[in-house]
Amino acid sequence: MSILSIEFLLLAAGTLAVYYLLPLKYRWIALLAGSAAFVWFSGWQSMAHLSAAALVMWGGGLLLRRKKSRLLLGTLLVLDLGAMAFLKYYPSLSGAELILPIGLSYFTFQSAGYLIDVYRGKTEAQKNPLKAWLFIGYFPQLSQGPISTWKEIGPQLMEGHRLEPEKMVSGFQLMLWGMFKKMVIADRLAATTTALLKGEAMPGWFIAGGVILYTIRLYLDFSGGMDVIRGISRMAGIELPENFRRPFFSQSVAEYWRRWHITLGAWFRSYLLYPLTTSRAGIALSKAASKVLGKKTGRSVPTALATLLVFLLIGVWHTANWNAVIFGAYFGIVMAASTLLEQVWKTMRTTLNLPKKGWMSPVRLVRTLLLVLAAQYFAFTPDPATGFSLMSGTFANWDFSAFADKMSGVMEPLEWIIAGVGCLIVLVIDIVCERKIDIGGKLAATHFWIRWPVLLLLILAIVVFGIYGAGYDGAAFLYTQF
Amino acid sequence: MAETEEVLKAAETAAETAVTETQTADSTAEAAAAAAREKKARRKKLAGFGIRLVCFAVLTVALLTYATYVLTPKNDYGICSMVTLYRQEPDTIDVLTVGTSLGYAGINTNVLWKEYGITAYNLCSAEQPFWVSYYTIQEALKTQHPKVILLDAKPSIYTRDYSKRGRTILSTFGIRDPINRIGAIEACVEKPEDAVSYILGLPEVHSNYKKLEWSDFVFPPDNGGRGDSWKGYIESDVIEKHEKPSVVWNSTKRNMNAREEEYARKIFELVNEKGVLLVLIGLPNPDYANDHMYYNALWSVAAEYGITGINYNDPNMRFGLRYTTDFADWQHLNVKGAVTFSRKLGGDLQTWLNLPDHRGDPKYDSWEECAKSWYSKYSEFESSAWEKNPLDWFDPEELPGPPMEGEFPAPPMEGEFPEPPAEGELPGPPMEGEFPAPPMEEEFPEMPPEGGPPENELPIQDQEGEVS
Repeated sequence: MSILSIEFLLLAAGTLAVYYLLPLKYRWIALLAGSAAFVWFSGWQSMAHLSAAALVMWGGGLLLRRKKSRLLLGTLLVLDLGAMAFLKYYPSLSGAELILPIGLSYFTFQSAGYLIDVYRGKTEAQKNPLKAWLFIGYFPQLSQGPISTWKEIGPQLMEGHRLEPEKMVSGFQLMLWGMFKKMVIADRLAATTTALLKGEAMPGWFIAGGVILYTIRLYLDFSGGMDVIRGISRMAGIELPENFRRPFFSQSVAEYWRRWHITLGAWFRSYLLYPLTTSRAGIALSKAASKVLGKKTGRSVPTALATLLVFLLIGVWHTANWNAVIFGAYFGIVMAASTLLEQVWKTMRTTLNLPKKGWMSPVRLVRTLLLVLAAQYFAFTPDPATGFSLMSGTFANWDFSAFADKMSGVMEPLEWIIAGVGCLIVLVIDIVCERKIDIGGKLAATHFWIRWPVLLLLILAIVVFGIYGAGYDGAAFLYTQF
Repeated sequence: MAETEEVLKAAETAAETAVTETQTADSTAEAAAAAAREKKARRKKLAGFGIRLVCFAVLTVALLTYATYVLTPKNDYGICSMVTLYRQEPDTIDVLTVGTSLGYAGINTNVLWKEYGITAYNLCSAEQPFWVSYYTIQEALKTQHPKVILLDAKPSIYTRDYSKRGRTILSTFGIRDPINRIGAIEACVEKPEDAVSYILGLPEVHSNYKKLEWSDFVFPPDNGGRGDSWKGYIESDVIEKHEKPSVVWNSTKRNMNAREEEYARKIFELVNEKGVLLVLIGLPNPDYANDHMYYNALWSVAAEYGITGINYNDPNMRFGLRYTTDFADWQHLNVKGAVTFSRKLGGDLQTWLNLPDHRGDPKYDSWEECAKSWYSKYSEFESSAWEKNPLDWFDPEELPGPPMEGEFPAPPMEGEFPEPPAEGELPGPPMEGEFPAPPMEEEFPEMPPEGGPPENELPIQDQEGEVS
């Protein structure tokens, strides 16, 4: 069930209605029922797997509370993450066909994080198995996250919330905004990616443009879905963590990964990167490296290596193929190099008297974008050969004589205009938000005779220009497959 | 003294306690009052929110309904004939044709009006199955009470249990009554859950923003510039050469698709219940050889309800149709073929049903207006044209000779048609000036070369447009 399908929206509306009709104390049951219905309609395999994961998480949490055992934690994590790894990677390695439960990665990371937090004493173990189920099975976030901790959303899910008109309006707005980004723009740009994979000879500008548009499409698809999920949750008084914060405004690759898929990065940082760098082996390595490379650089060696490992894992988490390895390794190397060479960059800046802000900001922005774009060649291509071929093709044949033909071969002019206007609107809104102006909040708080026309226009744009209905399959989200 | 002091002290303490208690009671009362005020304010806030929510929902529904209206194609065959039906004066249509594109291409309502004064209307759409015809007839009978409904027999050959997406839109989006419209949609779709998007409308038509024109935004809906007086006939100027189908004219039947049969029966029950005369009609088409056994099955089913029909593919039915020049494609009559056929049809309807001639009656001015407009574009099809040069029109082998014994069309059932002509009272030759006299053998000019006469001899206009 796609989160943009009529069935899902009806389920969400029904769950919200029941939620606010129930007494405060029992409102979590409405969320549980809605989530159970969603998982059930996704297939009994999803229900079985999620319930098993919830049971392991709940039981494991109680055991860890009783006895803080590393061995126990390790066993539970192997069970949890091992099941995910098996279901994700065994089919591609063996050729077997297995049905992936919906939200496999998201609920697995969430339950693993919960167990680690209980072990660390950061979270109390949940005594109620149904509440434990709800924590990982909460239906809006099953499709594509965000990956939350118990501390972030547990109490919000379990305690009932009173109906707040401001949150209802704000949540509804956010949901519409997400639908606009996904259905009007991202799905429309799908044709550009298809064009790149046709295997025909293409001019360099066409390839470059296609890769840029794919990156934009991925951002709008993913962030649009996130907005829908957060919007629906906000209408129930639940504030899910943000997963995208205008990543294309980043001034470095590190900042990019703090703005892109924020909760995935946060999960790996909290549960892998920091434990590795602060482990005994990490500290020992730091000391040894300091002797060779100096204190400042030496200290960053464990971080660099851990970063490389984290990004390799992030790469293969997406999919089990060589493209994923290249994608992950690329970012890992860039980030690791950035960490190791931090002192070198600082010295260079001081020597060359380069300003921290001013004209350097757009230079860093463009540099970051180029570094990010380079990785995208391996994000949408089926194999490394195609990725490298497109990459080398980007630098050849910048002949614009067939520009009009090529563009109209991908989409009709009117479609380009719609996509272009849509991207412009998103850019303007993002620039405003980047200046710390909460435009959504301001709209939600304004008079209804200003707000309503905006919302009605947004609804009209979505239902008229949205890519959905017969003949379209663009409503499938790119990140649901994970 | 000490006692007085004690009493005073006790009184003081009591007074202090009373004050404290009063203060506590006051603050409790204040808190209760504050809570009550807050509750009231919250109720007011929620009530205000509820009202605004309802108003917003109403506005949204209104906007989306208007958007659906704008984006629904109105010019397309099927939708435009339904849209224009609602503009006809109530109880003015005597002959209502319901069925597929063979109907709207083959029955020229202007010829029926001009030459017989028959008020006919074609309520047809491409590949219209019987389940759509059923709901269409129900819808039409709300405002019209035709003397006869001509039901196109073509759907008897269809094998699909559902309608294709585009056909569903064409067949159902013009229906106004929500119950009939939903019924037709539910009958069209392959799976019940598919009906939702058609019922809502917008999910199916929203991509038509690419084809919008200013006329789509106004009321009443435009019908492709055809005007209110249009009667559902769509001509095609294309000429495609065909040969007369070679049909083994037997009574062998082939089972119809179960759904088509189910709804054919529903139609027959409906018309019998409403007391409306329904006649099956087999419009001529070059591909008939494949259809014959299905038509037999349909006739057989219809006979159970006392319903009969006229099959103009009968090789014994000769009325001058020329297969080399009178068809636009393998299914549809072109403009010339439709004129030839409609003359025959009109004559038969007059003979069998004695339909009133409404020419001159101002109540039926819209037919006059429609015919005038049509003939101004197709003046070569005025009666005088073929009277002068009959062989430019008719295939001599297809002209009706004197009917042979036993070749008479099956008489109508008692009470439905007028009494069949008594033996010996066969329809005589056409009256002078109405139909060309069948050429006598010695009057035959040289036969045209194989393949039909050269194009420049045909009184056919430029080939434009096509019939779907």
